[in-house]
Amino acid sequence: MTPTTKKPAGAVSVKPALRDLRSPMMLVAAVGALLLVIAGVAMVHFSEQSYRETKLQQVDAQGRILASTVTAALAFDDRSAAQEYVNALDVDPQIQIAAVYDAAGNLFAAHARDPARPAPAMLPSRTASTDGDGLDVTAPVQQGGVTIGTVYVRSLIEPISRRFERYGVVALLVAMAGLIFMLLGAAQSRLADVNDRLSRQGAELADANRDLRAQIEQREQAETALRQAQKMEAIGQLTGGIAHDFNNLLQVIMGNLEVLQRRDLVENDVAKRLVAAAARGAERAATLTQRLLAFARRQPLNPKPLDVNALVAGMSELLHRSLGEGIVIQTVLATGLWRVAVDANQLESALLNLAVNARDAMPSGGRLTIETENAHLDEAHASAQEAKAGDYVSIAVTDTGTGMSRDVLQKAFEPFFTTKDFGKGSGLGLSQAYGFMRQSGGHVRIDSEVGSGTTVRLYLPRIADEADAIPAVDAEALPRGSIDRLILVVEDDPEVRAHAVTMLRELGYGVVEAMDGRSALGILEATPDIAMMFTDVGLPGMNGRELADEARKRRPGLRVLFTTGYARDAIVHNGRLDAGVELLTKPFTYAALSTKVHRMLSGGAA
Amino acid sequence: MRRALRVALGAYATMLAALASGMACAQAIPLEQAVKATYLYKIAAFVEWPAGAFESPGAPLVICVTGGDPVGAVVEEAVTGQRANGREFEVRRLAAGAPSAGCHILYMPVQAATAARLEAVRGTPVLTVTDAARDGGAQGIVNFVNVDNRVRFEIDLRSAAVNHLEISSKLLNVASRVRPKP
Repeated sequence: MTPTTKKPAGAVSVKPALRDLRSPMMLVAAVGALLLVIAGVAMVHFSEQSYRETKLQQVDAQGRILASTVTAALAFDDRSAAQEYVNALDVDPQIQIAAVYDAAGNLFAAHARDPARPAPAMLPSRTASTDGDGLDVTAPVQQGGVTIGTVYVRSLIEPISRRFERYGVVALLVAMAGLIFMLLGAAQSRLADVNDRLSRQGAELADANRDLRAQIEQREQAETALRQAQKMEAIGQLTGGIAHDFNNLLQVIMGNLEVLQRRDLVENDVAKRLVAAAARGAERAATLTQRLLAFARRQPLNPKPLDVNALVAGMSELLHRSLGEGIVIQTVLATGLWRVAVDANQLESALLNLAVNARDAMPSGGRLTIETENAHLDEAHASAQEAKAGDYVSIAVTDTGTGMSRDVLQKAFEPFFTTKDFGKGSGLGLSQAYGFMRQSGGHVRIDSEVGSGTTVRLYLPRIADEADAIPAVDAEALPRGSIDRLILVVEDDPEVRAHAVTMLRELGYGVVEAMDGRSALGILEATPDIAMMFTDVGLPGMNGRELADEARKRRPGLRVLFTTGYARDAIVHNGRLDAGVELLTKPFTYAALSTKVHRMLSGGAA
Repeated sequence: MRRALRVALGAYATMLAALASGMACAQAIPLEQAVKATYLYKIAAFVEWPAGAFESPGAPLVICVTGGDPVGAVVEEAVTGQRANGREFEVRRLAAGAPSAGCHILYMPVQAATAARLEAVRGTPVLTVTDAARDGGAQGIVNFVNVDNRVRFEIDLRSAAVNHLEISSKLLNVASRVRPKP
């Protein structure tokens, strides 16, 4: 699972005020507004200046006009005419005083709007000037190049309130422009913010989408794996059921053939050969059903602590013989290999199957490499391979053969799926390896490339407990029992029961029989010197396991040997046998039975 | 009321004008005569003579006065140091019967052969000034009158046109009466 990291929402956003200040548009707007205000003030100032100049010019012109018109009146002392002229300026409401002075500077004629402020009696010394609320202009009265007097005009400057009314409009316009600037800036800033957030959300969305796609992909993979597992399970159920029935039948056939051979009941040579051929056929059939059971994970396993390197090395001779001259066998064995606990026979069988497959993939020769190593599987890889994370010992079988296509790979574990020619392969080799490894708590992985070769890796779970020594292979001759060692055989199938009873008696043991659990318990109580109970697991009514439990309640030291072709969960939990329980797989051979029973009876109480 | 004020102002102004002309011996000469003398040169500034009326651009403006003293002396006194359109004034006293050639302004304070003199300069660029207020006889282009005890003047634009003179409208504005062109 890919961990998704998401920023906390609070980390992204900044205080709004700070954000506004940060925004360049906002700054531009503020500067723009400031410039507008400055421009407005400058405009007002300039306008004021210009107004005063214009006013001065205007009043000066009025003064000059008056001076020009009043010449004759002044020259000829016509005060009434002069008065008419100065009065004419009354139409301009801003003219406060209009006066004419003669050459000596004495007042000749005057008009004053405000009687409280009459024209000065003598000509004011200033020529043209403005003061706070008014402006004074004087103009010479000339005729024929001779100055004969002076005109004095005093005008009010437009009241400051009136002017500011005018400037107020300008100020209003400036303020509105500034406001619009600010608004635009704010809008721009807001827009930028929104865009920013949108793009961020877009990115988050894209991230989420990517996550989702990854999850979907993972889920699809998991579903595919699950479907595959379910298919294998279903096939396993089917296979297991058929194999179990076949096993029982084969037990009968093989047992009877063995009896025929052992007791020399067949005297005819031809008949002997036929019996031998039938026995071989039955053996092969038994091997097939074993594999089927192994695939179905119903192969009762007998896992023991095991040195994988030793096992691989010990197979060397067998492999050479099996693979032939054209194939170079190379083993790469890691040192310090962890310990595993698996069924050694099954492991050998699996490796042999893989080797045979490899050989068949290399018709013109090649190299087979068996490599052991410690492997740690982390969660990510484990889920992808439908396995548990942890420590494993891996055995990799690599060939330099034709390889497998993707389609072939998908079906490789299915029983009876084979690419080999009809009659050449059973299609059970990889199935057996698969079922065996699953049952042993491990898994199988195939890596293959068409034209380059294939690597099949078996992952065996590491065990922490390394106390158990690997038992030495019992090489002695078939151990014989004694008649005082009484064995109770419980089997519902009369033929199978008869066969087992026959074999045990052959081995020299004393035998009592029961056809179900109930009668077996009765016999146990009635016969205290029974040393061992040899029971089928699949019994009608009380099954083998329940029978064993009951029996051991009554006889705590009782040794129990199960036999089954079809383990189910009655005795097999998690691919392991429960403590104190031994198992003999159907169909079993004379030798296997002999060894097992002898070891159990000669060992300490279970 | 208004009229009374105007009369008072007029008297006052007349006196002032006399003072302004700088007449030292104001006591000996009637104030009215002094004012008229002053007006003589002041009027010159409002009158335009034809180009050929003067010998040269710097030539003085000749004021001819008939009737002898004391008026001649008063006029001489009045124009001393005055200028009009850049020209100085020259005062000639014309004896009875003396020709008025070279005169630009011909002032005839007394009614003696006035009509003959007016006729003599008719058609020539001479501004004729009469003092008809007193006598009511023949009038020149400018004719002093006494209105409300003030010296005013009448202007005859018809005569001015005959003598090829242009009178400024400003002067007309202050004239007590204007006889328009036909």
